[in-house]
Amino acid sequence: MTENRSEKAWTGASWGNPFGKLGRTTVLAIIFIFQIILTSVLVPGYFSVWGLLDATRAFVEVGFISLAMTLIIITGGIDLSVGALLALVSVTIGFSYQAGLPLGAASLLGVIVGVAGGTLNGLVTTYFRLHPLVVTLGTFALFRGIAFAVSDADAVSNFPQWFSVFGQYKFGGMVPAQLVVLVICAVIFWLLLSKTPFGRYVYAIGHNATASRFSGVATQKVTVAVYAIMGLMVGLAGLVHTSRIFSARGNAGFGLELVAIAIVVLGGARILGGSGTIWGTVMGLLILSYLQDGLSFAGVRGDIGLTIIGCALILGVFLNENIQKFRK
Amino acid sequence: MPSDQGDGVDARSPKDRHGRSILSNTLLARPETPALLFLILLLAVFSVTTKGFFSVNNFIGILEQGVIIAIVGLAVNQVILSAEIDVSVGSVLAVCAFIYGNLAMMFGGNLLPLFATLAVGTAIGLLNGVLSTYGKVPSIITTLGALFVYRGLILLLAGAQVLNVPKTSRVLGLSDVAGIPVSVLLLVVLAVGFYWVSTNTAWGRNIYAVGGNESGATTLGLPVNRTRLIAFVLSGAACGLAAAGFLGQIGQLQATAGTSFELRVITAVVLGGTSIRGGRGSVFSPIVGALLVGVILNAMTLNRVPGTMELFVLGVLILLSVSSEGIRQRYLEKKI
Amino acid sequence: MQEVSSTSRRQLLCALRNVSKRFGNIQACQGIDLELFTGEVVAVVGENGAGKSTVSKCLYGLYSPSEGHVEFDGKPVEFRGPSDGENAGIVMIPQELDLFPELSVVENIWMGLERPRRWFGAFDAGAMEKRARELLHRLGLFVDVNTPAKLLSAANGKLVEVARALNANARVIIMDEPTASLTEREVFNLFSVVRSLKRSNVAVLYITHRLDEVFEVCDRAVVLRDGRMISDRPTSDETVSGLVRKMVGRPVEQLFVRHPHEIGDVVLEVEGLGSGSAFQDVSFRLHEGEILGISGLIGAGRSEIAETLFGLRDRTAGTVRLNGEISNISSVQGAFRHGIGMVPEERRTLGLILPFSVKHNVTFSSLLKFMRSIFIDTSAEDKFAENAAKEVTIVGAGLDDPVSALSGGNQQKVVVAKALARNPKILILDEPTRGVDIGAKSEIYRIIDGLAKQGHAVLMISSELNEILAMCDRTLVMREGRLVRSFDRKDFSPDVIGSAAAGVTVDSHA
Repeated sequence: MTENRSEKAWTGASWGNPFGKLGRTTVLAIIFIFQIILTSVLVPGYFSVWGLLDATRAFVEVGFISLAMTLIIITGGIDLSVGALLALVSVTIGFSYQAGLPLGAASLLGVIVGVAGGTLNGLVTTYFRLHPLVVTLGTFALFRGIAFAVSDADAVSNFPQWFSVFGQYKFGGMVPAQLVVLVICAVIFWLLLSKTPFGRYVYAIGHNATASRFSGVATQKVTVAVYAIMGLMVGLAGLVHTSRIFSARGNAGFGLELVAIAIVVLGGARILGGSGTIWGTVMGLLILSYLQDGLSFAGVRGDIGLTIIGCALILGVFLNENIQKFRK
Repeated sequence: MPSDQGDGVDARSPKDRHGRSILSNTLLARPETPALLFLILLLAVFSVTTKGFFSVNNFIGILEQGVIIAIVGLAVNQVILSAEIDVSVGSVLAVCAFIYGNLAMMFGGNLLPLFATLAVGTAIGLLNGVLSTYGKVPSIITTLGALFVYRGLILLLAGAQVLNVPKTSRVLGLSDVAGIPVSVLLLVVLAVGFYWVSTNTAWGRNIYAVGGNESGATTLGLPVNRTRLIAFVLSGAACGLAAAGFLGQIGQLQATAGTSFELRVITAVVLGGTSIRGGRGSVFSPIVGALLVGVILNAMTLNRVPGTMELFVLGVLILLSVSSEGIRQRYLEKKI
Repeated sequence: MQEVSSTSRRQLLCALRNVSKRFGNIQACQGIDLELFTGEVVAVVGENGAGKSTVSKCLYGLYSPSEGHVEFDGKPVEFRGPSDGENAGIVMIPQELDLFPELSVVENIWMGLERPRRWFGAFDAGAMEKRARELLHRLGLFVDVNTPAKLLSAANGKLVEVARALNANARVIIMDEPTASLTEREVFNLFSVVRSLKRSNVAVLYITHRLDEVFEVCDRAVVLRDGRMISDRPTSDETVSGLVRKMVGRPVEQLFVRHPHEIGDVVLEVEGLGSGSAFQDVSFRLHEGEILGISGLIGAGRSEIAETLFGLRDRTAGTVRLNGEISNISSVQGAFRHGIGMVPEERRTLGLILPFSVKHNVTFSSLLKFMRSIFIDTSAEDKFAENAAKEVTIVGAGLDDPVSALSGGNQQKVVVAKALARNPKILILDEPTRGVDIGAKSEIYRIIDGLAKQGHAVLMISSELNEILAMCDRTLVMREGRLVRSFDRKDFSPDVIGSAAAGVTVDSHA
C-alpha cells in the first residue's frame, strides 16, 4: 500500500481491520484468494484461467457502478436509482435505434441519458437540500417507470453484429474487452480519489460538508459532479449490458443498486460517509461476484443470489459500525 | 426583533395571541390538510372529466385498492416520523401472503393463518428494528437488504408455484358489513387505535420528539432506540395483517407479488404530508395519501393510460411531494 | 442581595467531591470540590476553556468523573446518564435552545415526564395545558401553550426550558450562559425568574462570563482556571477586578500582545449592507494594518456579517467595495479570489475536518498551490504544512496525526494556519479565542498582532470585552441586527461598549 499513515486514518484503508497491522484491502485480498482456492477444491472443474476471466463478463457492469458508488458513499450519499437508470439507458439505446437512429448515435444518446439522470439526482439533492436516499428512491421509480412506459413491456434485440463488440469481444480470445475498460476506470478512479484535490474534497464532504464549504470547497458542485460521474458510469454499464445480452428491455438491472452498495460497503466504506477506498471496492467486487459465480457453477439456483447479497450488505455495514467495539 | 415578530407570541399582545391560537388550532395548520384539499379537488375534477369515476362501486374499488397501502402506511408513517425509513414492506408483505396462502390451503380458516402471518411479520419487523437501532446499521441499509433477502427467499421457495386460496379463507378481502368491505372497517379501527396511541402514550409522543430533535431527545433521556424499535415492529406486524387482506382480495399469489409495494406506501405517507426528515406529520397522513394514490391510479385506468405508466407516476409524486417539503423548509420557514 | 434567605434553613443539596475529568491526555478539570445549598445561586466563572462546562456536565451526569464522585442528599451517587441526574432532580438548561421545534409548548414542557391521565389511561390534555400555563405564568410568559416551539423567540424558548425543569421537580437547575442571546429587557425578566426559583428553595448553578450578572443575582462565585478551582467565596466579598484577576491568573498586559502598527489605506468599504432579517444597514471601513473589532450580544448579527462578506450568505442590500471597486462576492471561492480569509466561530463543526490530519487541514483551503499537473504534489504540501505549523507553533501532535488529537487551543491554531495559507489581505476572525486555553490565547494574539504589523486588515468579532479593549484599533457595536455605535481606541471603556451592546444608555453624550 502506498498510502501514508494519515491517509489511512481517514480513508478507512486501515480502519476496522481485525487482523492487526495488515491493511483492510490486503485482508480482503487474502480472503479472496482463499475463496477461489476453496471453491476450486470443493467444486471440481471450476478452476481455469479462461473460466475465471470469462466470469468477469457477468460483473463488469456492476463494477463500473460500484466505482462511482464508492465516491457517492464517501460523500455520505447513496444512489438507489442506478438499476432503474441502467434500464432507461438500455431502453434508450434499443428504442431510439428501432426508431431509426443510427446505432452509434443511439449508444451515445444512451450514455447521455445516463449522465443526465445522474445529474438530475445531484441537482435535486443539492438544490432542495434533501437526503439523496429520498431523491433517488423517487428517481428509481421515475427512471424505471419511463423505461417501462417507453418499451411497453417489449424488447429490442435486432442489433447489427458489430454492436456485440462492447459486451462480447475478447482480446486474444481470453480477456473480455469490458474488463480492460473496467481496469482502466479503476485506475482513473483511484488516481482521482487519492491524488487530486477533487478526491480530497470528496472525503472532506463526507466528514463535514459545512466545514468544507467554510474552507472554500464548492460542495454543491462537487456533489453534483459525483452524481453525474455515477450517471456516466451507469451509461457505460448500460451500453455494455445491452451489447452483452444483445437486447434492450425495461426490466434490466433489477437489484443492481443493492449489489453495488453491498460491494462498496464490503470494501470498507462506512455508509455514514468519509471513508472508503477504490481498491477496497475492487476487492469487494471480486469477492461477492466470484461467490455468486461459484454458487451458480455448483448448480445453486440464481434466486438465492438476492438473499446472499442482501445478507452481505447488512452484515458488512453491521461489522463496519461495530467492529471497533468488538475489538475492545 | 426579527425572531419573535408577527407570530403572535409576544407576551403583551392578547390580540395576536388569539390570532395564533385560531391558526394553530384550525385544521388549516395540520400537516395532512394540503393533501386533503388536493384529494377533494381531484375527486371533483375526475368526477366531471372521467366517465365511470363517480359511482359507488368505483369508490369502493378505490377504497379497497387503497386500504392495503393505508394499513401498512399507518405503521410506516410512524417509522418515518421517527426519522427512519422502511423500504422492505413489499417483500415482507409477499412473505406473509405466501405463508397465509399455504396455511389457508392446508388448514383453511382465517384466524390461524392470520395469527401466523402476524407473528412472522412482527418477527421480521423486530429484526429490522434491532439491527437499525441497537445494531447501528442505518435503516435504509437494513430494510433495503431485507427487501432483497425476503424477495430472494420467496422466489426460491415459491418459484413458479401459483397459490390459489379457498374463498372461505378470504374474509378480509371479500366480506362486507352493510356494503362496506371488512378491510375498510379494519382500517378505520386501526386508524382510531393509532390516533389514540399516538396522542395518549409516551411512546406516541416520543416518536415525534425522537424524529424532530434526536440529540434533544437523548439529552432528556428518552428511550430513543426503543421508540424506533417499536415503530419497526409495528411496520412488520402491519405487513402481516395487510397480507391477509391483500391475498383475500386477489385470491392467488405469485412470487413477484407486492413488488414496488414499498414505493406506493412511501408515496402515500409523504404525499399525505409527513415530512421525510421526521418529526412532522399526522397519524392520518398515510390514509389521505393512499386515497390520493388510489384515485390517481384509478383515473389512469379509467382513462386507458397503460399500466406501465404506474411507476412513472409514483416517481413523479414522490419527487414532487418531497421537493415541496424542501421548498417549504427553504422558503416558508426561513424567517423563523 | 435583595433576598437574604435565613442561613439556618439552608441545607446541603448536592456536591462534587474532589472531582477530576480527563479526556485522553487533556485534563479538563482537576480536584473540584463544590457544594450547593438549597435556595442559593452559585456563579461559575472562568475564561473559555477553564472547565466550566466540564464541571457542570459531571454534576448532571453527562460525564462520569475520572476521579472523585458526586454527592446528592448527603449520599454518594453514580449517574449513568443525564436522565439519572434528572430523576434525582438536577436539570441542565443548555446555552443553545434545545426544544422540539415541531411540537407545541405544552408538549415540550411535558416531554419525557409522567403526564397526568384521565379515564382509560388517556392523557389529560386539559390538566397538562393548565399546568403548563401555570408554570409559564409563574415565569411571566403569557403565550398560547399550543404554539409550536419553532415560533418562539430565544428568550421565550429559554423560559419554556425553565418551565420544563420546574415541571420535572428540579431541585438543582444548571444554567449555561442563559443570557448570551437575550436583550436587556429579557435578561431583566430572567433575573426575576432566577430570584423566584431561589425563593422556592431551588439551587441554581449559574455559568456565565458576564461578571456584572454575578453581582446582580448570585450569592456565591466559584472561579475556575485551567481546570482548577481558584476560589469559592460569597459575592459580597468579591469585586469585579478581583474576579478578573483570579480568572486570568496573570496581569492582563502579559496576555495580550500589541505593537504599534501603521494604519494605511481603506481596503474594505461596506455601505448599507443587509442580509434578510439577520442584519440591516451596516456601513463601515476597514484599513490596511487595522484591527477592527465587532462586539455585541450573541445573535446580534455579527457572525452573519462575517458570513456575508465571506460569500456564505446572500447579500440582500448594500454594497461592498474592495480597494475602491464594487465586488459581488457570492461564494467562498470568490472571497478567496479577492483576498478575504476567515476563521469561523465553531472550530469543530465549521473550521476543521476532524478526522483529517493536521497537515491536510492546514493545506485544505489552498490545495491548488501544490499542483503538479493535475495531481497534488505531496512533498511540496508536506514542506508547506511543516513551515505553517512552525509559524503558528502547533504542539501536541505530529503533522500526520488526526487534528482531533490536539487540544482546543492547538486546533484553533490549525484553523488560523489554514486561513493564513492563502495569505489573505483581509482576515475575518469570529470569536478567535473561544474555548482556548490561556497559553494558546496569547499565541493567537501574537499572530493577530503580527498580521496587523505586516499590513493585513483584521476584522475581529468577539464577545470577550477584554480582548476587544486590548487588541483593537477601533470597534463597532452591534445590537439586534444593526450597527449602533463605533468607538475609537482612545474612547474604549468596558462600560460604554457593554451598555451599547445591551441597549441601555449610561453615557450622557450618546
